[in-house]
Amino acid sequence: MNLSTKLTIAALLMSGVSTQVLAQQQTVTVMAYAGLFQERYTKAVVEPFMKANPGIKVEYFPMPNSAQMLGTLRAQKAAPQADVVIMDVSVSKAATDEKLFNKIDEKVSKNVADLYPNARIPDVDGVAVTFDNLVMLYNGDTVKDAPKSWMDLAKPEYKGKVAIPGMPDIQGLSLVLIMDKARGGTDYLQNVDKGITALGEIAPNVQTWEPKPEVYPVIISGQAVIGAGWNARAQVNADTSGGKLKTVLPQEGSVFQINTINYVANGPGKDAGAKFIDYALSPEAQKAFTESMFYAPTNAKAQISEAAIARTAVKSMDKVIPVDWIALAKVRDPIMEQWRRKVIPLSR
Amino acid sequence: MSAATALAPALPPRRSRLGLIVALLAPIALINAIGFLAPVLNLARMSFYEVEPTGAMREVYTLATWAKMVTDSFYAELIVNSVSVSLGITLLTLVCSYPIALYLHRSTGTWKTILLVLVISPLLTSAVVRTYGWIAILSDSGLVNNSLGALGLPPQRMMFNLTGVTIGLTEILMPYMILALLAGFGRLDPRIEEAASTLGAPPFTIFRRIILPLTLPGIALGCLLCFVLAVSSFITPKLLGGGRVFLLATEIYDQAIVTLNWPLAATLSILVLVIFGGALVLYTRALRAIL
Repeated sequence: MNLSTKLTIAALLMSGVSTQVLAQQQTVTVMAYAGLFQERYTKAVVEPFMKANPGIKVEYFPMPNSAQMLGTLRAQKAAPQADVVIMDVSVSKAATDEKLFNKIDEKVSKNVADLYPNARIPDVDGVAVTFDNLVMLYNGDTVKDAPKSWMDLAKPEYKGKVAIPGMPDIQGLSLVLIMDKARGGTDYLQNVDKGITALGEIAPNVQTWEPKPEVYPVIISGQAVIGAGWNARAQVNADTSGGKLKTVLPQEGSVFQINTINYVANGPGKDAGAKFIDYALSPEAQKAFTESMFYAPTNAKAQISEAAIARTAVKSMDKVIPVDWIALAKVRDPIMEQWRRKVIPLSR
Repeated sequence: MSAATALAPALPPRRSRLGLIVALLAPIALINAIGFLAPVLNLARMSFYEVEPTGAMREVYTLATWAKMVTDSFYAELIVNSVSVSLGITLLTLVCSYPIALYLHRSTGTWKTILLVLVISPLLTSAVVRTYGWIAILSDSGLVNNSLGALGLPPQRMMFNLTGVTIGLTEILMPYMILALLAGFGRLDPRIEEAASTLGAPPFTIFRRIILPLTLPGIALGCLLCFVLAVSSFITPKLLGGGRVFLLATEIYDQAIVTLNWPLAATLSILVLVIFGGALVLYTRALRAIL
C-alpha cells in the first residue's frame, strides 16, 4: 500500500468517525429570561454542561418574561421548539394545566430527591430551580441610616423618593402579603385588608409604581432613593454599581419568588432535555449559579460558599413568610381591585 | 386601421376592467386578510375562551369575560378615562401643531424643506427613546424643575402622573398631526386671504371666517389619526404614568403580559377596535358636513 492510499483510507475512516459524532450531536433548546439572567446562567450552568457533555449543544433562547414564554409554548403546542423552560411558578402552573409539560420527578432526574420540600410544588409539572426574595433597596449615597422596616418607606423624608414595582407585578403583591402578616393578618387567602392599609400609608411617598426599565437603575441613579426589588438582581446591581445600591432584609420579613425548570412535552431534543434538567438541579450547577447571581439554591446538597449564602435569604429562613402562589392566583383579582381603589388613589 | 380600433385597447370592455380592478386589489386584500383580519377574528374568538385563575386557558366558550366587562365598573371607568384622556391629548396636539403647520404651509423654497425635515425628524427616533428624553426633562431633578428652582419656585411633580403622559404623548403625536394638517391644507389659497384683507377684514376675522373653515378637512384628518394613536399607545403611558394612569392600552398589556388573562386582553382589544370604528364614523360624518 502506498502512502496516498493509506491517507485516503485514513481520511475515509476519519470522515466516518466525524459523521458518527455528528449523528450523536444533540441540541437542547433552553427558553429562559433574557439579560442579566442569560449572561450569568450561560456562564455558570450552560457552558459547564456543554463541557461535560460534548455531544449536546445548548441553545439559549432568551425571553423578556414568563408570560411571553407561555405565549411561545402555546403557539408551538403542535410542534414545540423548546425543550426546557425556566419560568415563574404561577406561569408554570398555567402551562401545566394546559398540558404543555412532562412531569419532572425522580425518573427524569435523581437530583429531584435532594430538592428542598418547597421546591416540589403540588400540581405543577416543573420543579423549583431558583428561589429569590423581596428585599428593600436604597441608595447608599443619599440614605445614611440603613432602614430596618418596610414601613420606613412611609417616612416623611422619603416623600416622592420611593420606587416600588406595584401590582399586578408580584413584587407589589408580595409587599401587601408581608405587611398583612406583620400587622396581624392571619390568612391572605381570606383577606389582606391590613396589608392594603399599610401600603396605603406608604402610597403618598411613592414616586413611581412602574420603575423602568427596572427598579435597580432608578435607585442607583438617585431618581428614587428607596424601594423594593428582587434580591438576586439587587445583589448583582449592588456589585456593578460599586456599592451604591444597598439591600436590607427588613424586620417584617420577605417572601420567596420561585423560578421553576420545566420539561416541554414533545420537545425536539428528546432525552437531552432531561439531561440538562438533571444537570441544572445538580449540587454543582446550583452552587455555581448561586455563587454567580445569589439566587438561593433549591438542592439541599449544594455546598455554597459562606460569602454567597450570606447574600441570599437562606440564613434568614425564619423571616421568609410561606406563600402558596398557586392558591393565591385565585384571589389575585380581588386584591388587585383593592390595590386600585385603596392604594393608588392615595399616591396621586 | 380605423381610429376606433386603435383606441379599443385603451378602453377595454366593462367586464375586463372589473377583472383588472380585482387583480390589482387582490394582493393587498390578501395581505390584509392574513395580516389583519385573521388575527382579529382569532382575537374575537379568544375573548370567549374560558380562563382559570392561574391563567390557564381552555378552548371552551363562555360569556364570562364579556359579562365581567359589563358588570365591573372599573372597565366603564377605563373606557371613559381612555377616551377622554385621548381626546384631551388630541386637542392639545392640535393647538400646538396648528400654528406650525400653517407657518410651514406658507413658507417656501429651501426654508420650507428645512422646516419639514425638522418636523419629521422626531419620527426617526423611537417613541421609547423620546419618552426617556422626557423623563430626563420632567424628573424631580430634571431641566424644568432645576429651572423652576433657580427662579425660586417650588418644584412640581410633572411625571409619573397624567401630566407627564399628556406632555409626552402630545410631543410624540405632533409630527403626525402636522403632516396630516399639511395634507389637508390644499384648499387654503393666500389670494382669498388677501382679498379679505383688502376688503378690510381684521386678521382674527380672516382666521375665523376663511382660514379655519378651509383647513377643517386637515383638522379632522389630524384629529382622527392622533386620537387613534393616543388610544392605542402604551409605551409612553407605561413609562410616564408611574402606574397611576389607567388606560385601555396599558390594561391590555398588563392583562396579556403580567396577569396572563388572555381572554380579557382580547376582549379589551376588541373594545378598542369598536372605539376606532366609532371614531371613523364620526370622521366620515364630519368630513361630509365640512365638504
